[in-house]
Amino acid sequence: MRRAVEITNLNHQYSDGTVSLENVSLAIDEGEMIAVIGQNGAGKTTLFLHLNGSIRSFDDNVFIFGQNIGTMSIEERICHVGVVFQDPDDQLFMPTVYDDVAFGPTNMGLPEDEVERRVKEALSTVGLSGFEDRVPHHMSYGQKKRAALAAVLSMEPRILVFDEPTANLDPKSRAVFIRLINDLNKNKGITTIVAMHDVNAVPDVADRVVILNRTIVADGTPVEVFSDISLLEDNNLDVPEIYKMFCILGCYGCTYEVPPLTIPEAALTLDRMIDTNGGTVRLGRSENTKEEMTDLFRRFCR
Amino acid sequence: MHYPDIDKYAGMDSPVHRIEPRIKIISFGILIVSAVFVGTIPASLFFLAVAVVILLASRLPMRFILTRMKVICVFVIPILVLMPLTVPGTPLFSAGPVSISQEGVSFAVLVTVRSVTAILLVVTMLGTQRFDTTLKALSLLRVPGIIIQMLLFTYRYIYVMIDEFLRIWSSMRAKGYTFRFNRHGLTIIGNLIGMLLINSYERAERVYQAMIAKGYTGNPISFSPFRVTIPDCLFCAAVITLAVGVHINYLEIL
Repeated sequence: MRRAVEITNLNHQYSDGTVSLENVSLAIDEGEMIAVIGQNGAGKTTLFLHLNGSIRSFDDNVFIFGQNIGTMSIEERICHVGVVFQDPDDQLFMPTVYDDVAFGPTNMGLPEDEVERRVKEALSTVGLSGFEDRVPHHMSYGQKKRAALAAVLSMEPRILVFDEPTANLDPKSRAVFIRLINDLNKNKGITTIVAMHDVNAVPDVADRVVILNRTIVADGTPVEVFSDISLLEDNNLDVPEIYKMFCILGCYGCTYEVPPLTIPEAALTLDRMIDTNGGTVRLGRSENTKEEMTDLFRRFCR
Repeated sequence: MHYPDIDKYAGMDSPVHRIEPRIKIISFGILIVSAVFVGTIPASLFFLAVAVVILLASRLPMRFILTRMKVICVFVIPILVLMPLTVPGTPLFSAGPVSISQEGVSFAVLVTVRSVTAILLVVTMLGTQRFDTTLKALSLLRVPGIIIQMLLFTYRYIYVMIDEFLRIWSSMRAKGYTFRFNRHGLTIIGNLIGMLLINSYERAERVYQAMIAKGYTGNPISFSPFRVTIPDCLFCAAVITLAVGVHINYLEIL
């Protein structure tokens, strides 16, 4: 397994002196699916801009596949790390979808037929074949978002960084986008790094969760991170609704090994509960139920 | 959302739509320059007639052309009014200190015809091909990259700005704002414009980050997606002959 990203003691502050990153150290292996969560202003975007060299650190502490990002040429950087920004209107700056998707490959100095092949492939990956001549202002937000992803995919990066990929999307577009991220990771072996607040979607797009609050405050599997409620509270974060639901079921006498975080996991957990209980799940009130529920409400409904 | 697209009818088909974009820009450029530099009313009317013929051949809807033409009235009407009053010469009509000179009237007519011709040609040219095609053609014609990029970003972000303006405007309306031409009304409009400026400044930074992320180096478009055909060459040759012909003729008369 190769190291895709290696960050050691990264510091950053804005020109006005506000510290945005403090001693951030993070190592990501190739093929990992990782989510970085954190409140507004936690430094997620700043961290991401370091990953593709848009912001340069002078201490040589960001390495991509073992290479120092600061010394890479711009062509090398863009075929290693692709960043999908939050607002597609920022990212689609060319007049047509084709021009935009072709922008990166053209800058990489690829021949015309290769550029065309990549544009075609990228657009078909995101399900926008036939949109080549469309202008961004005549597209829906969800389509623009996918076009922005295609414009990054056409550079065929090994690492993909998404800044708030599900923000402002309708449920269907959100599901499509989450599936896309999974496909890219599982089928194409691209390392995906996602920043989001939408904790309900986090377990769907990550096998590993990192909490960032100027520095890395937690790093583990989704279950490990979401089980530590007080840590989440301290960082103004929430837990997935499914997790809360199973905590409530726990108060009514359900027992399970680990609380599920996604809908498919919930079905599996229920299945297992039924198996271990001899074919049924029993809910019942005990003398502790009321107390436990009050405690739960205090934690979840702050 | 209704946008004022200049290239709304670029998808139509007509002899003018089919002209290769670079040839179109060169030919229309020659026509516009020639039309603007003629010195006599008959010659300028001739170019106006040429512009109208091309416009009719393009089959662009008249309504679209007229809406676009309205804008130049702001510049033409003052000339039509002021010129006859200010240019000295043989008086056609005078009432007290006010006198209308013949030279003034003919100069005003000449300027009007020339500007109408130029605008007709520009609208026909821009209306018969997509704006991104125009930009690509300009880039292939070696227009400096910085100018292309300025046009490109203007075109791309004018729509985003319209949306942003409308969002702020509708939230102002939602809070009960109605425009009145007084100190309060104007202050609010000033705030709105300031808001738009700050928004676009911040957006510019984000767009620049996105450009860097896609390896922006400032290089112009290098692939040529167009092909020049024989009818294109014929059209261009015809335009050049016409323009040169009229100007030689005009010089001989002189």
